[in-house]
Amino acid sequence: MTTPATGGPPTGDLDYVEAEVRRLLAEDPGIGEQGIEVRHRERVLVLRGEVESPGRRREILRTVRNRFPGLALRADISVSATHPPDAPEELP
Amino acid sequence: MSGMVRIAAVGDVHIAEDVAGQFRPGMADLAERADVLLLAGDLTRFGTPDEARLVAAEFGGLPVPVVAVLGNHDYQSDQVPELVSILADAGITVLEGDSTVIDTPAGRLGIAGTKGFGGGFAGRCATAFGEPEMKAFVGASGALADRLGEALRSVECDVRVALTHYAPVPDTLAGEPLEIYPFLGSYLLAQAIDSAPTVLAVHGHAHYGSERGMTPGGVLVRNVAHPVIRQAYSLFHLDVPSPVTEELAGAERATG
Repeated sequence: MTTPATGGPPTGDLDYVEAEVRRLLAEDPGIGEQGIEVRHRERVLVLRGEVESPGRRREILRTVRNRFPGLALRADISVSATHPPDAPEELP
Repeated sequence: MSGMVRIAAVGDVHIAEDVAGQFRPGMADLAERADVLLLAGDLTRFGTPDEARLVAAEFGGLPVPVVAVLGNHDYQSDQVPELVSILADAGITVLEGDSTVIDTPAGRLGIAGTKGFGGGFAGRCATAFGEPEMKAFVGASGALADRLGEALRSVECDVRVALTHYAPVPDTLAGEPLEIYPFLGSYLLAQAIDSAPTVLAVHGHAHYGSERGMTPGGVLVRNVAHPVIRQAYSLFHLDVPSPVTEELAGAERATG
């Protein structure tokens, strides 16, 4: 999932990229995800979290790549399972 | 009456067309496993009536009562009354500052709920001072918590549960960045929960949080946000004390 780091913004600017991506993921009318952690490591932007469908994961990556072409991006976004629980929790 | 109340709960299901039908198969044996299903807010992705109809199809008509609060996502399209109406038509009870009572074989389960709001936690919370926007933020959180407290204190039941979207304690936020705690919950909710003999508080909203916590008054708190529990729902068994046991405990306390 990592794209080449060449041509991306300088590392210092990634603080602002991080902020912009966090807002983009929440405020984009087609996304509305507040639960994705956005961090940068050196020159790589890392997205981490859980979403409800594979389509939402694809849309997140597509939107960030469109907004920041050339940005090195690493994604660790999984889709939440919906199987019934194995056992109840007995509360005291 | 005495025995065990069985509570299924999940929050933050964020239903839209791409998720429709995902939860229903996991609910197939719900009647054998639970007395009620609680939905802890963020039922929809953008809060549209179309999404609410998908929520109604997903969680309506289940063999157990379904009780919900809304979350911040459900407010995104400013169509809350229509959402509530669509869910109510599907038999889903939506709480906001009020309560409902469900008769179970073990006794009467009282559930009081609110979306709740942010503001942060004791000692580091937002205060109603300065700009009108700040006063409005803190005031809104306080008003919702006040109504939750009133609903919890007034509901007549054998066992009492609080249902919110925002978190009442910081314990269940462990894993979230500290900087966003004020947007994830408010100690005012815990204070409301502690103002009544509540036995369990269930919330969502904190996708990166953790499952277990406790209010300062000792009420168990569980974060059931779907990204946290990673299953269709969590299941809790709550003991309902029999009046005889309570009488004996009371007598022991009196003579002890």
